[in-house]
Amino acid sequence: MREHDYDDPKTYCDPHIAEEPERAALTGMLPAEKFASLQAQTRRHFLRNFTAGVGTMFLGASLPELCRSLHAADRGIDGNLRIDFVRDPSNPLSVLPPQLAPTAKRIIYLHMAGAPSQLELFDYKPDLAHLDGKDCPLSFLAGKRFAFITGVPKLLGPQYPFHRAGQSGQWISDRLPHLEKHVDDLCFIKSMKTDQFNHAPAQLLVQTGNARLGYASIGSWVTYGLGTENQNLPGFIVLISGGNMPDGGKQLWGSGFLPSVYQGVQCQSHGDPVLYLKNPEGVSRQARRSMLDVVDEINRQEHKEFGDPETVSRIAQYEMAFRMQIEATDTMDIHKESAATLAAYGAKPGEASFANNCLVARRLAERGVRFIQLYHWGWDSHGAAAKEALNLGFQDRCRETDQPIGALLDDLKQRGMLEDTLVVWGGEFGRTSMKENRNGGSPFVGRDHNPGAFTIWMAGGGVKSGYTHGETDAMGYEIVKDPVEVRDLHATMLYALGFDHRKLNYPYQGLEQKLTTVNPARVVGEVLA
Amino acid sequence: MEFSLRQLISARRHRLIILVPILALAFLFLASPPDGQERSPWLLFAGKFHLLTIHFPIALLYLVPLLELVGRHKRFPHLRASVEFMLMLGLLASLFAASLGWALARNGGYSGRIVTQHMWGGLLTALACWLCWILRDHAASRRGNIVYWAALATTVALVSWTGYRGGQLTQGENHLTDGMPAALQTLLGISTDDSNATGATTTVAVVARNTFYGAHVEPIFAKNCYSCHGRNKQRGKLRLDSYKAILRGGKHGAVIKAGNIAGSELFHRINLPQTDDNAMPPSDKQRLTPDEIKTIEAWIEAGASETSPLNAVQGAPTNVAAALKEIELPEYDPSIADKSRSTHAADVAALQKRYPDLLQYESRTSAMLSLNASLAGEKFGDRDLASFKPVLEQIRTADFSGTSISDHSSDLIASMKNLRLLRLSHTRVTDDGVKRLHDLAYLQSINLLGTQVTSAMLGTIASMPKMEHLYVANTRITPASANTPTLKQKLIF
Repeated sequence: MREHDYDDPKTYCDPHIAEEPERAALTGMLPAEKFASLQAQTRRHFLRNFTAGVGTMFLGASLPELCRSLHAADRGIDGNLRIDFVRDPSNPLSVLPPQLAPTAKRIIYLHMAGAPSQLELFDYKPDLAHLDGKDCPLSFLAGKRFAFITGVPKLLGPQYPFHRAGQSGQWISDRLPHLEKHVDDLCFIKSMKTDQFNHAPAQLLVQTGNARLGYASIGSWVTYGLGTENQNLPGFIVLISGGNMPDGGKQLWGSGFLPSVYQGVQCQSHGDPVLYLKNPEGVSRQARRSMLDVVDEINRQEHKEFGDPETVSRIAQYEMAFRMQIEATDTMDIHKESAATLAAYGAKPGEASFANNCLVARRLAERGVRFIQLYHWGWDSHGAAAKEALNLGFQDRCRETDQPIGALLDDLKQRGMLEDTLVVWGGEFGRTSMKENRNGGSPFVGRDHNPGAFTIWMAGGGVKSGYTHGETDAMGYEIVKDPVEVRDLHATMLYALGFDHRKLNYPYQGLEQKLTTVNPARVVGEVLA
Repeated sequence: MEFSLRQLISARRHRLIILVPILALAFLFLASPPDGQERSPWLLFAGKFHLLTIHFPIALLYLVPLLELVGRHKRFPHLRASVEFMLMLGLLASLFAASLGWALARNGGYSGRIVTQHMWGGLLTALACWLCWILRDHAASRRGNIVYWAALATTVALVSWTGYRGGQLTQGENHLTDGMPAALQTLLGISTDDSNATGATTTVAVVARNTFYGAHVEPIFAKNCYSCHGRNKQRGKLRLDSYKAILRGGKHGAVIKAGNIAGSELFHRINLPQTDDNAMPPSDKQRLTPDEIKTIEAWIEAGASETSPLNAVQGAPTNVAAALKEIELPEYDPSIADKSRSTHAADVAALQKRYPDLLQYESRTSAMLSLNASLAGEKFGDRDLASFKPVLEQIRTADFSGTSISDHSSDLIASMKNLRLLRLSHTRVTDDGVKRLHDLAYLQSINLLGTQVTSAMLGTIASMPKMEHLYVANTRITPASANTPTLKQKLIF
């Protein structure tokens, strides 16, 4: 092989030498010419081609494996089989069976936005009554952050008398006489905890498993995993009882990274149940159908061109809206209920109220809606104003919700639906054992936010009845037994619906996204019947 | 004699000066050995740098023979020129690190065989290194060379052995053998059987595992406490690695008072918040779990006995653990279903096509079915149900609420042998039809809301073996019909 003088650019850059091997390869040559071409191969050529060759060899050896690991869609990162949630894109809410045998088919979630005080409703603390008005022990304050409390607050005893109720003898205050009749159907978790002490992030945590925006809500996960039975209604419906929107906003029923078809549909309990669902004046159902057919065709062409799955879900949503025109309007219309039923709920047709929503929730559950989310508002009992004081506004909140919840449980039980409907009641955190005294000597009594302990209850759907899980200390301030994280509650709810919370996941941003997040969650087996 | 002591002293007198710190250190080791007490936090802090500085002399001392050997080659004669400097530097660095080591051991609550051996090993290494330094000048002669190499070999051996002992102090006694491949272990004849290899158990009396102390308490101490209150360290002069030692207590006296939770310092300390200076285990260590704390509490309350049997301690967390109901989440394996579904999968597929959404498998791994005809409403009648004949036995829950099925379907429903839940609310079924269901051995719940049934069928249905709930609101059955306690419990209005 000829030695090149690399300092001589002429030899070094000779295009003839550089091109010759390629040409030889292309044409196919006589042995003599081949030999000559080999003579032209320099060490430089060898080194240049060698690196590419080694690269090719590496890829040849490892690419199949790399591809396998990238495309092993049927296996998760733990190497175990993934659950396949693939559906016909034109029918994204079709029913899929759960992973395990379920004890609940649907969930009615009653979210009391603002966080009701567990110390005035379920978590009875007689010792706190004895210490009412005393300075709060400093150990309660060390290392804690409060939304409003400053300095050394006074302890605040329970504001309402408690008594034991039902055969299970659970403590309950005198504010909930209707719910009290169902106390033997309820399963309390008195040791709920969260790590968020402001409403919006805490609500997001409870509803989406994450305190930040952009995650999928429980209802989205559930409809993604199970679909919904009634294709003429959305699978995930949200009802708000007038008043304020929850602080977390519409993200609370957002679908996050899940396809948007799984997001909650907010319905109104007065006026049109779903805005713009009715055909406009002068447009017949037939005309609407023809219009949709044309729009669908355009959308189909669009999908063919760009392949965006959201286009398919748009077609599906138009179609669902068309079907909903009849069924949703009928379902949401509580005029169809008897006067006795309306009275039992305290519902007044045409009003925006929690009572109406409870009745609608029952009607939706009867028609096979998978996840029904109710929000009530005004539970933020700081005591800074009359409408949110424990001694005033709080009583109204109790009155507004107690009778409808009692009637809902009555109805579900009577209809045998409590057997496969899981009802969940709760706020986003608890309230402090200390009195919040924002305006000095005001007549209003209130408590600040306490993420350290709060109470929720569940009923039906495979949970124990007349049971209490977990315990707080004598002040009701911190958990002393069996703490339950929000993600544990989520895991338990999903388990009732037939899911291993780790398996109900969705690949996004390089992670198998889960309602219960990457943190380990525990199915609270103790509360399951 | 070429290297007589006299000549050695006269030639390199200044080198003798370096013996002074070596001897001073030896005196320090003898006069104030590590005794398990904790002393000055300043010296302890300085001592922590022992772990950092020690690797410098180690590397230097290993380099010396390497340089000597490679330096013999004709191409690298210059390497040998640096050996003397290396030896001196290694000696000084090892003395410095050794004094830090003493500060750590003396002030950090160390004591025991391993730390003593490590300490003296370090000092001997320094001494051997010094010897090499002296002897190297006389290595020109054959005999001098042999002596020098012997000293060098001793130095390397001492460095290795001392380093291993140090490793045992920081990483645990079996740090080398723990992760060793099994084949190599057998080859070297090393047994990793705990009873032989764990230092703790060789000196501590064998613990009887059939006692509560041995079975539940000792393992907690072993896992959480021995590293500082065991054979090698006795912080606060406390050992917890034997029952006798536990009773003896530490420098503040007894740590456990039998039957007296409040008076037991140990129990007080393990319950302190992690941020408390007196909390045990200290803040950088793993806390005891609530169950472990409960175990110790129950043990102390029951008298903190060494010999009382397993069942003599009340309220121990073995019971607590039983109250926790861990849910087993099986791995997802749809192939389980493939086999059990094979008998009827084709029929199910055909029915699912004909009646979309009505028929579903109960779960992805189950062959059993769930039929919800209520979604079809009145359109679903007796004739439709007849087409489900091939899969009737697989149906576990059936909801016919609001459909137009009648008593004609009773025989079909009666042949759903595995039925657990049946909803017939708002249908045309009557007593006759319902009575024919009496053979459904697994039926737990029947919903007859808003039907024409009367109390005539109650006797038949309520006495079915698994029957729990009968939903009979808006029927001709009244609460007065619930004339027995069992009926009262099962009837829901």
